[in-house]
Amino acid sequence: MDFLTNLATGFSVALTVTNLLYCFAGVLLGTLVGVLPGIGPVTTVAMLLPFSFTLPPESALIMLAGIYYGAQYGGSTTAILVNIPGEASSVVTTIDGHKMALAGRAGPALGIAALGSFFAGCVATVLVVVAAPPLASIALSFGPAEYFSLMVCGLVAAIVLARGSVIKALGMVVLGLMFGLVGSDINSGIRRFTFGFRGLADGIEFVALSMAIYGLADIALNLGKKEENAEVHSKIGRVWPTLADIKYCIPSILRGTTLGSILGVLPGGGALLAAFAAYTLEKKVAKKPRRFGHGDIRGVAAPESANNAGAQTSFIPMLTLGIPSNPTMAMMIGAMMIHGISPGPRVMTERPGLFWGVIVSMWLGNLMLVILNLPLVGMWVKLLRMPYRLLYPSIVVFCCIGTYTVNSNLFDVYVMAFFAVFGYVCVKLDCEPAPLILGFVLGPMMEENLRRSLLISRGDAMVFVQEPISLFFLIVAAGLLLIVALPTIRKTREEAMQE
Amino acid sequence: MLKIKAGKDFWSGVMFLCFAAVGLYIARGYSMGTSGEMGPGYFPVVLGVVLGALGLLLIARAITAGDEPVASATIRPLLLLVVGVVAFGETIEPLGLVLSLILTVAIAALAGRESGPLEIAILSVALAALSVGIFHFALRLPLPIWPAL
Repeated sequence: MDFLTNLATGFSVALTVTNLLYCFAGVLLGTLVGVLPGIGPVTTVAMLLPFSFTLPPESALIMLAGIYYGAQYGGSTTAILVNIPGEASSVVTTIDGHKMALAGRAGPALGIAALGSFFAGCVATVLVVVAAPPLASIALSFGPAEYFSLMVCGLVAAIVLARGSVIKALGMVVLGLMFGLVGSDINSGIRRFTFGFRGLADGIEFVALSMAIYGLADIALNLGKKEENAEVHSKIGRVWPTLADIKYCIPSILRGTTLGSILGVLPGGGALLAAFAAYTLEKKVAKKPRRFGHGDIRGVAAPESANNAGAQTSFIPMLTLGIPSNPTMAMMIGAMMIHGISPGPRVMTERPGLFWGVIVSMWLGNLMLVILNLPLVGMWVKLLRMPYRLLYPSIVVFCCIGTYTVNSNLFDVYVMAFFAVFGYVCVKLDCEPAPLILGFVLGPMMEENLRRSLLISRGDAMVFVQEPISLFFLIVAAGLLLIVALPTIRKTREEAMQE
Repeated sequence: MLKIKAGKDFWSGVMFLCFAAVGLYIARGYSMGTSGEMGPGYFPVVLGVVLGALGLLLIARAITAGDEPVASATIRPLLLLVVGVVAFGETIEPLGLVLSLILTVAIAALAGRESGPLEIAILSVALAALSVGIFHFALRLPLPIWPAL
């Protein structure tokens, strides 16, 4: 019964005209940025974050969520037609998708990508509905020690699954945690690390930091690269795959959805990892694996289902635990905080309209996306011809105005300029910024929980090991670190990442 | 003599070490408290020590195990983008949104090197007009539009 009442609450929020409009705006924008190479969902969500506070929180989150999963649909279009991933999680789709386009089968490739995504989206939505309440109620019983260990575990997992050097990722997390401490200390009221700037008294503005890294630094990096010559295959043909195609793909879609749903929940996971893993799995289980890489439709169906499933299930830890599994989720948490909602298991009980509304809107959004993508694909293709040199100045404009208006404080604009340089340097040194963003969001919460748990235990650090749940999280974290430290496993990890 | 070829790992280590040093230097002014009753300096010091250790580890690994050279960076785009943002910060309040954005977009567009003067002019005016429409009329954000006289 609860299940139905919850869904009813969700529908009553998501089906209002305003929220339907924002959901539509979100998926439309998501498809757009998914299609356009050089601008992805993280950048877009960061760009819109400061403006979302002019909306009610429900509408804001519904729209931002739409951008994220909408981009998963849009990204496949560019991948298939131009051989450039419109969005990072579509990288693997280029392998077989573009080969299909060259063979004149672009239509079925696009069709199966959309259908697979839709199926995965529906399943993932149901999964969120089913998994979220029990998880949130478990999390409600967590004390500060459990929470601290959970955050440690989440951050460690994010590092392990990140690309590149583990030590660097660990360093970026710690640096992020430190950046998160800037500003007034809640317990003593002392201003920490403000360097005498009054503008830092409330901490480093999250909007300024994320826009600097995912907006400005990203543009600088893109401009430093040579622009790839985009050759658009606009001959698409009929979009609907044949019945035989669909039948052939059903097992792949099912596998992709399952794998994507699982990987989406993990910290550090989400759409990107899901797509890679699904493609690798398909190659392993296929009877004729040689056909992969030469335009096998299963090589489109599985990763596209997986990235959409992963995008959606990554909302589970964000909504129920307040723990972000990837930078986009960190921004969603930022959006909640802008609205004065403290993320965590209480969101579900205190703001059921928001919680269930966002979830139901995901399903509605997926429905809109199929309609947007299949018949309108020709329109998106035209947009592909938009050159980056005309696109990026508008990102700069959004970054400037957004950062300035979030607190009406000019200081934040200079903070953004500073972190743009910092972000650029980091990427040049192969230090991924994603762990930094996760650490930044979790920093204050982590310190607070550490402080509280040690206050309760009177300074005895054993409390983290004595509480069974806390111990469990720490063991998982230690195990994960050990795994990457072992040379043999490190090798396979590197190989897996390269694939 | 040890020959150090400074590369990505080495400089990452140096970066971490610098942040750790600055953090620890500033945090020495905050009271540590005890682990049972942590002062404002406790957590920052712990983080600073961990970060410093990671930095040293990276440097050590770079020296012993070799390092990958840093890919050449093109400074121009980044520099012009930052100049554009600073220009926005300096001009938004005295000059208002329209003029400030025309200036910012023009500078940012130069970062790309590919746009000609006419295209830059059209782009900056168009984006300024569009922004007034979106941010002033649609979102009603409190932004000055024209120079305050």
